[in-house]
This record gives sequence, C-alpha cells and structure tokens, in this order.
Amino acid sequence: MMVPEFTLSLFQPAIYTGLIAGFIGLLGISFQKNDLSALIITDIVGIAMLVIVAAVGTDLAEALILPGLVVELAEIMAISEILISREMRILGEVPVVEHRPMELEVFRTAPNFLALILIAYGVFLTGFTGGAVAGAGILFYVATRRARGLPAVEWDGIAGISGVTWCLWLAGFLIFFIAPQLWLPALFMSGCGILIKVASKMGLIGVLAREEIREAGGDE
Amino acid sequence: MDIASLGGELLGQIPFGDIVLYLTPFNLFMFAAVLIFTFLIAISRTETQVETEFGTLGNRRVEVDTAEFRVRRFLAVVCGLATAGAMVTGDLFNFTLFVALIGIVNIGIVSAVRQVEVLDAAFQYGLIAMMASLPLFGGAALVLGSSGTLSLLELSGMAGNPMIVFASILLLMGVVGETGVAPFYATKAEMFRTPGSPFILIIHLSSLLVIVRAIEVLLIVSL
Repeated sequence: MMVPEFTLSLFQPAIYTGLIAGFIGLLGISFQKNDLSALIITDIVGIAMLVIVAAVGTDLAEALILPGLVVELAEIMAISEILISREMRILGEVPVVEHRPMELEVFRTAPNFLALILIAYGVFLTGFTGGAVAGAGILFYVATRRARGLPAVEWDGIAGISGVTWCLWLAGFLIFFIAPQLWLPALFMSGCGILIKVASKMGLIGVLAREEIREAGGDE
Repeated sequence: MDIASLGGELLGQIPFGDIVLYLTPFNLFMFAAVLIFTFLIAISRTETQVETEFGTLGNRRVEVDTAEFRVRRFLAVVCGLATAGAMVTGDLFNFTLFVALIGIVNIGIVSAVRQVEVLDAAFQYGLIAMMASLPLFGGAALVLGSSGTLSLLELSGMAGNPMIVFASILLLMGVVGETGVAPFYATKAEMFRTPGSPFILIIHLSSLLVIVRAIEVLLIVSL
C-alpha cells in the first residue's frame, strides 16, 4: 500500500477533532452577544470545516481545500463589510481616527537585513510557500521606514511583472500536459512564475497600506 | 438510488474530465426555469417601484439609484447562474460549491441597501451561512472519504453505508443553513423588506430549487 497505515489511522481522529472544534465554536457563538466576537468565532467553525476536508487526505481533498478556503474568506469578508456598513449607518458621521505608526526597534535598525533574508529564503523554497515568504519580506521592507520614498510607478511595474509571471506559470502547466518529457523546464517555469507572482502580490498589500497611511495624514 | 428512477431517463452525459454533467428531464426543466428567470432579471429595469402602504389606501413610490441597482442586478444574475449550475452538475463537490456561492451572493444582493434592520438581518444570515459551511463541506468530504468518489453517476451505483447516511444528513444541514430555509428562515425574513423585487425573488427561487435538487442528490448518494 502506498499510504502508510499510520496516516490512514488519522482519518477518524481528524474527523472527530473537526466536529468537536466546530461544536465548541457553535457553543461559543450561542453564548456570545457581541456581533464582532460572534463573527470571529464563526471563523473557527469554518476552519474546523477545513480540518474535516483535510482529513480525507487524498489529492482530490487537497484540490477541495482551496475552494473551501476561498469560500470561507469570501464569506468572512462579505459579512465584515456588512457589519462595517451597518455600524456606519448607525453612527452617521464617523470621526477620523488618528493614525499612530508602530514604533518598533527592528523597524529602524534592520529592515534591509530581515527583508533580504526572507526574500532569499523564499527564493530557496520556490513555489507558493516561497512566494509567500518572499512576499512577507517585501511587505516588511515596505512597512518599514526605508521604503517610504518608492514612487508609485515602480509599484505599477511590479504589478505588471506579476501579470507576466502569471503567464509563465500557465505556460509551465501547459507544457506539463502537452510535452510531459520536458517536465524539468516546465517545473522551473511554473515554480519561478508562482514565486514571483505571489511575492509581488504580497508586496502590493504593503503598498495599499502605505497609501492609506499617507491619505490619513500619517507619518511621512 | 438509481438516477433514472428519480429524475427520469438519462438523456445524455457531458464529460468535462472528472466532472461529468448528466441530463435528465427533471434537471433540464429546473435548469431552463432558472435560466429564463435569470434572463428576465438581466433585462429588467426596476429602479422605480410602487409599494402599497399598510393600513391606508395610499401607494408610495420608491426610487433606488442606478449605481446601487447595478451591483445588485449583477449579483442576482450570478446567483441565477450558480443555481443553474447546481441543477445540472453531476459532481457532489461542485454542488456544494454552487450552494456556498448562492449563500454568499444572497448576502451580497441585500448588502447594498441603506436600512439598518436589513443589514442586521443580512449579518445574521451571513453568520448562519458561514456556520453551515462546516456541515456542507464536511458532509461532502465524508462522502469522498468513505466512498472514494464524488461523481453522482458512480455514487448512484453504490449501496449506502452508515457513514454515507451520516454524511448526507450533514450535507442536508449545510444546504438548509446555506439557503436559509425552515429553522433558519427567521434570519432571512427581514431581508425581504428591502426594495428591489426581482432581486429578492431570486433568493427565494434559488433556495427552493436548491432544496429540491439537494434532496434528489442525497437520495442518489445515500440509498
């Protein structure tokens, strides 16, 4: 048998864990009267759902986790948006919240070093995980003081690169199907493509945050 | 249970790789009904409505600006297409995904209104829909875990076992929560007070048709 016996024996405990976690989450929601807390606890129920899907542990289940996660994220974003708009309707005119930048020692002393290590480690990992790590590096660099001077044009360029690498990823997968004997270049193409794509997207989150800080009249 | 004994004779299959759509008179009828209704929504212009006032003989003219309606019309069309997809899909997980999509767009259809009560109801409905994703996806995953396939054509040939029956009950709980019928209807009732008739009607229509289809799917899977 390909799958070890131990992995198979994990199926039932994982299902029970998921169901019990979901049940505890539901109990928490029933006790909770605060809307925001109820929303956050609801996310636990959603994650318990992912545990149950993951318990199946086949390739098919792996393909199902991603849509499940996307549905979960879409729902929580939609509901929190509703919560915000309801609160804004209740409050009417909302007073502007004063922006206070984070004052952390590491932001002043080591942004370059940490960002470099994260990006290098991300490149070493390659693929989706590597993209996330490298993106965290870029994000960190943008969030810290040094990067504030970067012009918007450069970030537009990075968004463009993201599109190009997306095509690289797709082309890599196409080669997998059309010419399986060229699997090594195809793997390389899709690996690099997804790395740069995810990394640049993660970096753009930082840009958005920075633009919002600037609009709020924050530190510049 | 056999597909033919529930939905009439099998008219044909459309194989998309793993996902095999199959057509029966039952499916086709509901599919066509949803598509016709979606088309009506796409071409309707309901910016101005007349509402009857309660307790008097008067009528009231309600106007909603086009920008708000454009989003809601788009979401209503998406909801119609998702319902149509749920009617013909032959893959259990695609069915659950379509049901989850219907739940999300139902929240979206009412979320643009400017009434606090409606937004409150939409928030509660959203919480129920999120909680329902646990039994919904969990049930589908248990069916996959205990039978090894998600294709309805293959599942119809298998005899049910206790695990699959349990998974079907979970799945039914998920569909009920996601579409907001019987026990959860209270979370959805307030949402219908918002202006915009055809867009609200698609919420009704989708939950009715999805429940009918879900019962067919569950009978196929568990018997």
